Amino acid sequence: MREADKERVVVEVVQRVFERCNRDPGTVEQALFDTFYEEGRRLETEKDRPAARKQAARYQKAYQEAVRASPDRQRELLKRVIQGFAEEVAGHFDPRIYALSTRVVPPALTVLLNTLSPLRLLGVFPGGLGTLEDQVVIQGETDAFRAVARQGTTVLVSTHCSHMDSILLGYSVFRLGLPPYTYGAGLNLFHHKLLGFFMHNLGAYKVDRRKKAWVYKDVLKTYAGCTMELGYHNMFFPGGTRSRSGAVESRLKMGLLGMGLDAYVHNLVAGKERPDIFVVPCTINYQLVLEAETLIDDYLKEVGKSRYIIEDDEFSRIDRVLDFVRKLFTLNSRIQVVISRPLDVFGNRVDDEGRSLDRRGREVDRKKYVCRDGVPVSDPQRDHEYTRELARSVMESFQRDTVVNSTNLLSRSVFGWLRTRNRDQDLYRLLRTGGTEESVPLKDVYRRVERDREVLRAREGKGDLRLDETVKDKDAVAVVSEALAHLQSYHRTPALVRRGDRLFHKDRNLLYYYQNRLEGFDLPAVEAAP
Amino acid sequence: MSVRKELDCLVVGGGTFGTALASLLRSMGKRVRLWVRREEQAAEINREHTNGRYLPGLALPDTLEASTDLAGLVPGTPLVLMAVPSRSFREVARQVGDHLEGDQIVVHTTKGFEIETFRRMSQILREETCTLKIGAFSGPNLALEIMKGHPAGATLASCYGEVVDSVQGLFRGGRMRVYGSQDVVGTEMAGAFKNIIALAAGISDGMGFGDNTKALLLTRGLSEMARVGVAAGGDVFTFSGLAGFGDLMATCASPLSRNHQVGTRLAQEEPLNAILQSMNQVAEGVPTTEAVHRYALARGLDLPIVRAMHGILFEGLKVADALLQLMAIPVGDELSALRYR
Repeated sequence: MREADKERVVVEVVQRVFERCNRDPGTVEQALFDTFYEEGRRLETEKDRPAARKQAARYQKAYQEAVRASPDRQRELLKRVIQGFAEEVAGHFDPRIYALSTRVVPPALTVLLNTLSPLRLLGVFPGGLGTLEDQVVIQGETDAFRAVARQGTTVLVSTHCSHMDSILLGYSVFRLGLPPYTYGAGLNLFHHKLLGFFMHNLGAYKVDRRKKAWVYKDVLKTYAGCTMELGYHNMFFPGGTRSRSGAVESRLKMGLLGMGLDAYVHNLVAGKERPDIFVVPCTINYQLVLEAETLIDDYLKEVGKSRYIIEDDEFSRIDRVLDFVRKLFTLNSRIQVVISRPLDVFGNRVDDEGRSLDRRGREVDRKKYVCRDGVPVSDPQRDHEYTRELARSVMESFQRDTVVNSTNLLSRSVFGWLRTRNRDQDLYRLLRTGGTEESVPLKDVYRRVERDREVLRAREGKGDLRLDETVKDKDAVAVVSEALAHLQSYHRTPALVRRGDRLFHKDRNLLYYYQNRLEGFDLPAVEAAP
Repeated sequence: MSVRKELDCLVVGGGTFGTALASLLRSMGKRVRLWVRREEQAAEINREHTNGRYLPGLALPDTLEASTDLAGLVPGTPLVLMAVPSRSFREVARQVGDHLEGDQIVVHTTKGFEIETFRRMSQILREETCTLKIGAFSGPNLALEIMKGHPAGATLASCYGEVVDSVQGLFRGGRMRVYGSQDVVGTEMAGAFKNIIALAAGISDGMGFGDNTKALLLTRGLSEMARVGVAAGGDVFTFSGLAGFGDLMATCASPLSRNHQVGTRLAQEEPLNAILQSMNQVAEGVPTTEAVHRYALARGLDLPIVRAMHGILFEGLKVADALLQLMAIPVGDELSALRYR
């Protein structure tokens, strides 16, 4: 973001958040003391850090003053708190660093990884290893994405299962020839040894997930909305956090998603020439997920209630990241980024000319949705429902454009076999013990892979999902072979190992994680015998 | 085009209920038009002020106008009330959708599902039109009683407060009390499901059983309604409201109900086809039984009354045998299926 715009955005954010709090003295007081309370709780958990202790002392002083302050003084204090949040959130963009990173980093990474690859040294691939472009496949509605990005502001919303995702999305929009995107990155990424430098300089704004005060959350949302109004393309993960279970997101956070509509109405009211905001769903599909082990552990520990912040996962260890990316090359593994058909902020599909279409393909005058007596107006209740419509459309896109990989299919087949053989064991016991048999006959696995693949092909034919080329075109033997190469090589404990004509399951959690990608697609029950 | 002010409301569908609603609104002084499919019907309403096929012998307000021209009626009308049978709902919705814009409100009064897909009418509206502001109007509203001006009440369910406010505003000051709800799924499920129980209640009456039997049927029917409605995502409390219990009371007690009439004739061993052919109106309970039965099987829901009605309607099960089967089902805790869901 340009420095001049940064100042404009901060001023606007402070103004809008303050206005919402300043409806009456009670709301001001509530906003102020809720913030003190939440921040106090957060800082209590961080009291080992000197900076946190200092901040806690400042809050304590402000609290003591606020308790006795007049309503006017409370307003001032609140404004100061909001100002502090807004300045902390605001991102910085340095075009020189963007140019450097886009020009130098991908080739450098390729060279580095080629050098690291033992397979390269062994000359297994006579034609040499591929480049990042070969490994990261960008497909789907790329032309439509570029087209709408020329006509309005776009908001790229993606599935999320790895910290690699934000880098991949940044790389993808660069590959598509689009300008850099603004995005909210967790504070832990700013502290990351490798990425911190880029995060600080490539337009990312800071999201501190430990801050629970609603005023802070309002600042974050409003910041994103204001950048959209100024025409900055945004990207974020509407699931809010990485999918712990491995499944495609089935619940989205409404707050940030709704800011596109908010920005659209503001643009209309302001009479802007290009008021449109387009939402572009996108899926990222890995054959291997860098943090799979940590994520599924977290999921199982919390039975779906994520801890939200994991500071110590694989992404924080450079050796694991390099190992992961090296595997990407040596296994000729594909990461598929699928761009879905752009949507308007009401969830309608948008054509390449930027026109909204209803489900019958008829053109829709989208401005009408927010007009009352011909005038565009905000209506929080109505707009919340519109955002739910958008969320439904985004989730439908996520499903349709999820790519089923061989690792997902093999994991489902083996896991299904285990469940069928151990019907008396609940999920957690099965995951812990592995059931009564430590291995699965390959012929049973082939049969299950074949059965599920037929169902998946039929679903793909109807446009319900996508299949990776191996799953789509190769036979069960090839599917299993490719998936095994992945599942037994990268993770600390191989998920599966082949010995003779049997597959030995070593890490059921990983099998469960990779098979969960197929949850929500209404496939035959995983326990069903082939 | 901005919403024009010439009309308050358009009622789509010149059947019994559509005509009754349009008449009620017109008699309240609302600017309302009625869309009907056939030119002759429109002409009859405009010239004779009657709708002989659906409301024989009843006079409509002199000022109620009907038309077959959707293109002339839909654009700019702020509120469209859809009162068409479920089997033709999608087709009519698509036609209406050709002329709708995003600032218009569409509310339907149809109590049924699309059999093949088990889609609710609000889902069909979402698929066939661009409108998002959708509502479902449901409750104990027997058309003939509305035509007579008897006081009545209904539930208007919509996620949009603006839709609820608009419809409540439209009926305010008249003899129809409209209560708001946000539970669209529950309201639609209740409205559709009660038609199955009305068929069963008709059979009970046709067999000469008394109030004990009917009360048993209604109460257990309400339980099945709530079970299937909750499974579909409805709120369990909706089924105790006007759209649920209220509608069940009216439909099952009144011989005016079409579904009740079908049930009574089934008890007298008249073949279903003959009954349906002799009626010039749709008995929604028949296709709804098919749709709900299929849904229950797919979801593993135990709905004994639906199962029995499906047997009678589509599997050649004798009414007496169905009764024996129902009475032979082991009894358990009365509310367990709901309480421990």
